[in-house]
Amino acid sequence: MSSNNKKWFSLNLTNKSNKSESRGCGKEFDSCSNNKHKDGYDQIMDVPMDRRSAFKKITTGLLMGAGAVSTSCSVVSGDDSKEKSSIEWEEYFKGNYKLMTDEERNNTVDRLVRSYELRKGEKLNISSKDAEDDVLFGYAFNISKCQGYMDCITACVEENNQDRSSQMQYIRIHEMDDGKGFNFEESNDNYYHEVPAEGHFYMGTQCFHCENPPCVEVCPVQATWKEKDGIVVIDYDWCIGCRYCMAACPYDGRRFNWKTPEVPEEEVNKNQHYLGNRLRKKGVMEKCTFCIQRSRIGKNPACAEACPTGSRTFGNLLDPNSNIRWILENKKVFRLKEDLGTEPKFWYYMD
Amino acid sequence: MCLHENNKLDMITKYIKSIVLIVILVFASCKNKEHQYHNLIEKIEAKSANYSGTNISSEVYNETVKKIKISEGNKEFYITERKSQITSYNCSECHNQPIKLLKDKHVGKKAHWDIVLNHANEETMNCNTCHAKDNMNELRSITNKTIDLNLSHKLCSQCHQKEGKDWVGGAHGKQIGGWAPPRLSQTCTGCHNPHSPSFEKRWPAQFNIQKVKERQ
Amino acid sequence: MKTLKVFGSLVIASFREVTQGSRAYNIWMAFLTFVMLFGMFNYGVQLDEGLSVTGMTDRVSWGLYISNFTFLVGVAAAAVMLVLPAYVLKNIDFKQAVLIGEGLAVAALLMCLAFVIADMGGPARLWHMIPVIGVFNFPNSMLTWDVLVLNGYLFINITIPMYILVKRYQGKVPNPKIYIPGVFLSVFWAVGIHMITAFLYQGLQARPFWNNALLGPRFLASAFAAGPALIIIVLAIIRKFTAFKVPNNTIQKISLIVTVAAQINLIMLISELFKEFYAPTHHSISAVYLFFGLKGKTALLPWIWTSISMNVVATIILTFHKLRNNRKILYVVCAMLFVAIWIEKGFGLIVPGFIPGPWGKIAEYSPSFVEVSVTLGIWAMGAFVFTILAKTGIAIELGKIVYHKKED
Repeated sequence: MSSNNKKWFSLNLTNKSNKSESRGCGKEFDSCSNNKHKDGYDQIMDVPMDRRSAFKKITTGLLMGAGAVSTSCSVVSGDDSKEKSSIEWEEYFKGNYKLMTDEERNNTVDRLVRSYELRKGEKLNISSKDAEDDVLFGYAFNISKCQGYMDCITACVEENNQDRSSQMQYIRIHEMDDGKGFNFEESNDNYYHEVPAEGHFYMGTQCFHCENPPCVEVCPVQATWKEKDGIVVIDYDWCIGCRYCMAACPYDGRRFNWKTPEVPEEEVNKNQHYLGNRLRKKGVMEKCTFCIQRSRIGKNPACAEACPTGSRTFGNLLDPNSNIRWILENKKVFRLKEDLGTEPKFWYYMD
Repeated sequence: MCLHENNKLDMITKYIKSIVLIVILVFASCKNKEHQYHNLIEKIEAKSANYSGTNISSEVYNETVKKIKISEGNKEFYITERKSQITSYNCSECHNQPIKLLKDKHVGKKAHWDIVLNHANEETMNCNTCHAKDNMNELRSITNKTIDLNLSHKLCSQCHQKEGKDWVGGAHGKQIGGWAPPRLSQTCTGCHNPHSPSFEKRWPAQFNIQKVKERQ
Repeated sequence: MKTLKVFGSLVIASFREVTQGSRAYNIWMAFLTFVMLFGMFNYGVQLDEGLSVTGMTDRVSWGLYISNFTFLVGVAAAAVMLVLPAYVLKNIDFKQAVLIGEGLAVAALLMCLAFVIADMGGPARLWHMIPVIGVFNFPNSMLTWDVLVLNGYLFINITIPMYILVKRYQGKVPNPKIYIPGVFLSVFWAVGIHMITAFLYQGLQARPFWNNALLGPRFLASAFAAGPALIIIVLAIIRKFTAFKVPNNTIQKISLIVTVAAQINLIMLISELFKEFYAPTHHSISAVYLFFGLKGKTALLPWIWTSISMNVVATIILTFHKLRNNRKILYVVCAMLFVAIWIEKGFGLIVPGFIPGPWGKIAEYSPSFVEVSVTLGIWAMGAFVFTILAKTGIAIELGKIVYHKKED
């Protein structure tokens, strides 16, 4: 204990000479308390832990690694499973899509296509097409025309390979009361009766692809970002599943895969985009991508194409001759929750 | 102990200085690199100032559709061709006699015998509003001018001015093909049955049981 | 090299120390191990099937795990409340309690990390957060700030007491010039960790229930009430079961801290209630749901009203000197306060933030069996870690284990 006999510890800065026992740590001020700024790598690697948990973690890691290595290198497992595990290995360690070079993107697309072929025997067509210049996508929704058919939802689910077992739907169609106006608390988004019902009107919501997206801001690993053509996308393999973006979205635009998504074989849409409708796994976020696999090659998103009343308009905001520009300039448009400052690229208008 | 307190003061000042430095550094790091525009509309206007088109085209999706090009106001776009889709065109093949006689005579093709006019009231509209007795192959304007069957929008927009303007602009009606130019719009009669134009009531395509479960 | 030898011998001595004990101690550790293993098994179920085995849905996407995480960050921050008087105010009474407090902070922080990992959809991809090999979205994402400050705090709270213990283990005096700066830093850092955790929620404009200015200070007030309350209870247990002397003065002073913090917490609660209910706007709808139920959905009412009544009763009792200084009453009241604030931070803050959803739909949340067992398992792990650290720390403080050099 202290040989000073004082009853309290005092910061004895005047007394330079210290006891003779202090060696190693005592002499220099900074050597023991490792006050150097630790970067993220050190924080993860240098976390002191007691032996028990360290042992546990090391053995788990070793077992996993050993398992993976043994499958890839073993002489007894077949070529297919070796290839499968080598694909899984490389896919696990790849980086963020946003930072990949073109070659890396092609490689990962090839791996995904090959992996599906090995597992299901079918050929996929995954695109990694980048955004075109001078394109900024916008969407307009005509409230007077929507009759509440929900054809858009059906088309979206089929186009984007969404999980059937949890009935995941990016789009929601709200049945509003005529007298109550835009009162979402009183609206019904899961009706099942003849439409359009008397005294009601219908409008739809989905991800609005904000120009100032709060979801992009809060993602800790930048797994979601806004592309040059305005589409807010997710790299499904990079997402860690923390669901912070879901808490941050004011428009209920995002969906989470609480379990492995199931899509019946015959309904899988084989024309896919890496950032769009390729098959996701459990524990990752997904959302409307303005059908990036379609819109980047000039087609309308599935919802716009499916709507029988033509209430959905999609187009290039930068083209002065486009329909969407005409709507913005000539119709009385508005956006939802404008006061939140998110600048969504989805406008509503009435006839 | 003055010295003691002085040293403490020194340390505290050092800490405060370092904290201030860290705070400045953090806030100096650019949070949002795109803050050149105040809002989205400003950005759109600025970026589309020198718009010269894109490489994307929906021509390939419109290839199989029979279309004609029209020009309304300052807009030029394609619309679907109508005449070739009408099964019994030319109309004058049957309609060379008064209708009363056609109804009595049991003409071989009883085509479209079940047309019910459910469009405005009888004071506003009857068959003659749009069709001329002596020229069934074309439509008739209010001023008795002829309108080609392919250009039905000219007829409809006589009464439906607002919808007509909206349609030309792109706010009304269905776009076929894709968003990329060249634009291909559906005509009025492509979506609306001209004799009974309103949409029928129907049931929605979906009912989400999981949502019901979630909200119980 | 010498330090390593000393440290190694400390670990061995500690291992010997924590594997022996009274019957009560052994039963306690066995019970904790059992709960941990059960929790681990259920976590395995969750890893296998995905988070669908929990009660969370797209509407309420954060539930029991994140509630506990938020609460425990506060408990960890509050450990510093003992450090402050001991070293800055040079109050000798607190010295004994400091190591206990810091051990509690370490245990709480490990629990926080465990809860975050349990809540993640893809824990195998956690390496994506490491800068250079992954992408670390600093300074935009508050979550990255949280990662930095929590790990930094964990580091401080492990190294400083470790340094002191290793020194004491060798029978030497720890050099104040080394640990005092760390102590100062940890005081500010503790405020930082809880404010930043509050900022996680405060910064979301999409959730008006959280998006108010009072959330950060409210977190601090409730943390400084709940944390020391737990410390009081722990010190009482240590007094009873070990030879470690905790003077009455210490406990009385800590209870004073609890009282003041609880009172401030109540004032902030009143301020929030006023804001929500004096002139209710559309943004108050989450508060309406929480306190009064909405459209027949009243699942949270029993929770929040129990919490508020326990909170008020505890604060009132604590305010009276006579009652506060009666130790039996104090322990009961501290337990009440701890539970009340746990409910308030969890079901009273995280869950109602999500209800109603952005389009007004109400989907209520209740944790599933898997969720509850994983939570209990992680609490057991925290208790386990704390027991080990406390037992070792106490043994060194009491001089029970001392480093015996082999030569010279």
